[in-house]
Amino acid sequence: MSDRLRLDQAAKLLLGVWMAGIVVAMFLVVPQYVGLGDAGRIIILHVPTAWITTVAFTVSAVYSIRYLWKRREADDAGAVAAAEVGFLFCTLATVSGMWFANVVWGTPWNWDPRETTILILLLIYAAYFALRSALDDVERRRRLAAVYNLFAAVTMPFLLFVAPRMAQSTLHPNCAFIQGSHCDGIWLEINGTRVGQLGDVVLALQGIEQRGDLAVAQVEVRMPGLQNVAVLAPTFELTSGKPADRPEFPGQQFLLAVEGVDLANGRVLLNMEAPGSGLLSNSRTFWTFMAANIGFLGLFIWLYRLRADVLLLQDRLARREVAYELPA
Amino acid sequence: MEPHVSSQSAADASTSAAPSEAPLLAAAWAVFRKDVRSELRTRYALNAILLFAVSTVVAMSLGMGPLTISRNADLPIIQAALLWVAILFAAFTGLARAFVQEEEARTAAALRLSARPTAVFLGKLLFNLALLLLLVAVTTVLFVIMLRVQVGNPGLLAALLLAGSLGLVAATTLIAAIIARASVKGALFAVLSFPLLAPLLVVAIQGSANAIAGRGWESGVGSLQVLAGYTIALFTASLFLFNSVWEP
Repeated sequence: MSDRLRLDQAAKLLLGVWMAGIVVAMFLVVPQYVGLGDAGRIIILHVPTAWITTVAFTVSAVYSIRYLWKRREADDAGAVAAAEVGFLFCTLATVSGMWFANVVWGTPWNWDPRETTILILLLIYAAYFALRSALDDVERRRRLAAVYNLFAAVTMPFLLFVAPRMAQSTLHPNCAFIQGSHCDGIWLEINGTRVGQLGDVVLALQGIEQRGDLAVAQVEVRMPGLQNVAVLAPTFELTSGKPADRPEFPGQQFLLAVEGVDLANGRVLLNMEAPGSGLLSNSRTFWTFMAANIGFLGLFIWLYRLRADVLLLQDRLARREVAYELPA
Repeated sequence: MEPHVSSQSAADASTSAAPSEAPLLAAAWAVFRKDVRSELRTRYALNAILLFAVSTVVAMSLGMGPLTISRNADLPIIQAALLWVAILFAAFTGLARAFVQEEEARTAAALRLSARPTAVFLGKLLFNLALLLLLVAVTTVLFVIMLRVQVGNPGLLAALLLAGSLGLVAATTLIAAIIARASVKGALFAVLSFPLLAPLLVVAIQGSANAIAGRGWESGVGSLQVLAGYTIALFTASLFLFNSVWEP
């Protein structure tokens, strides 16, 4: 028993040192990222907390399955603890993301797919806690809360599938940051939707014409914060079906490319191409990011186990009180 | 009869005697008919739900009426969103009734005795579906007339409304059974249901906007597929989970 206690103490100490190291590394080791400056450092905090949120939701659902199967109060305590800590991390991820978005994109909320998903996740957690507080009978509270938790988990894949269809593009810079991720770009029409958003840039199609083999698009580009407005003319080779001339966005290293053209209807498929190196391809950023993931996972495990123990203890105390207060 | 006695016998009945007595679908049909009959006696849910829908549509037409004259490019999506919001909140007022009324009238124990859980669930689901389809029909017709909506593709809109209703019922029937046991029923039903209905709502509104704008069937097939998948997933999950909810 004392050995285990000592091990726990050592693990806790290690976790504290690890997290402190990550905070230091976030500002000293990670380099500035072109175009984002110091705000880019948020990847060390924001992305791991968002991932832990999904981990917590999964852990909570697994505990709920186990509770319905075996009906042990420890499983219910685990489900509640994981949901509570998940709610905490979910709030952290949302707030840090909104803060970053306000600094870099000029708006804290844009109905970006991930913002939608995380908002619904927050609502589900909140509903789960509301349900628990509305059920008086302990056994029934545990049972029905577990059922609701699982039922909500069933809808999550649909949410993940549906949310990206809501907005025409995403503000989350996946295409630029995480290599191997796929971004489709946006179609703009000269006779229809002429204005669209690609990453954090607003694009407005002003014209499209054919010059020999090339289709030339006139695109007005507004950088975030409206600091830079420019008209770019990316081109598209009609014979080979490939982008030809890719101009650079003003003040950034991203390139604007035409990836498809429908001259008859005046439609253009525009996409942003990242410069060669993504954020995570910097090895210092990458390793700090991975260390942060491990650190936050450790933090989550420690917190939710602590909370589960406290819940069980509270339950035991409550039952003891009832036992003593009963008339003999 | 004391409560714990009845729940004891209910547990016995559900494990041994009841299942062999009636086939599942016949038992479910009997539960459905019982609910329809008791609803027609009081007309509580019917009145609440329909009057709520009528008031919502009238309120919208008071504010939105003049908008139809001007040609706004975003009008289809606005109208689709309003229609679905009206349907959603009218559903929130009435769909919990099927289970709440069993708890309030203290007839749940008798129902546990006389039918197995799956039959109860299917019967209630059918009743909620009938109620919701009536609601959707009334709301949509009123909505189209009072807001002067020009529906470009009525067939697609009807298909989306049907698919959306199926999904709505599949998601909310289990929630209704859950909140029937809670202390604050009305508010909790909407709070618990809404996050689960978010994907359905998004898809249904987008599809309905396409239908109102008069786009072809190919513009709505994706939405219909998502709605069907959603309905099947939630219906299956409900069948698995309902036994745990229906325990005394």
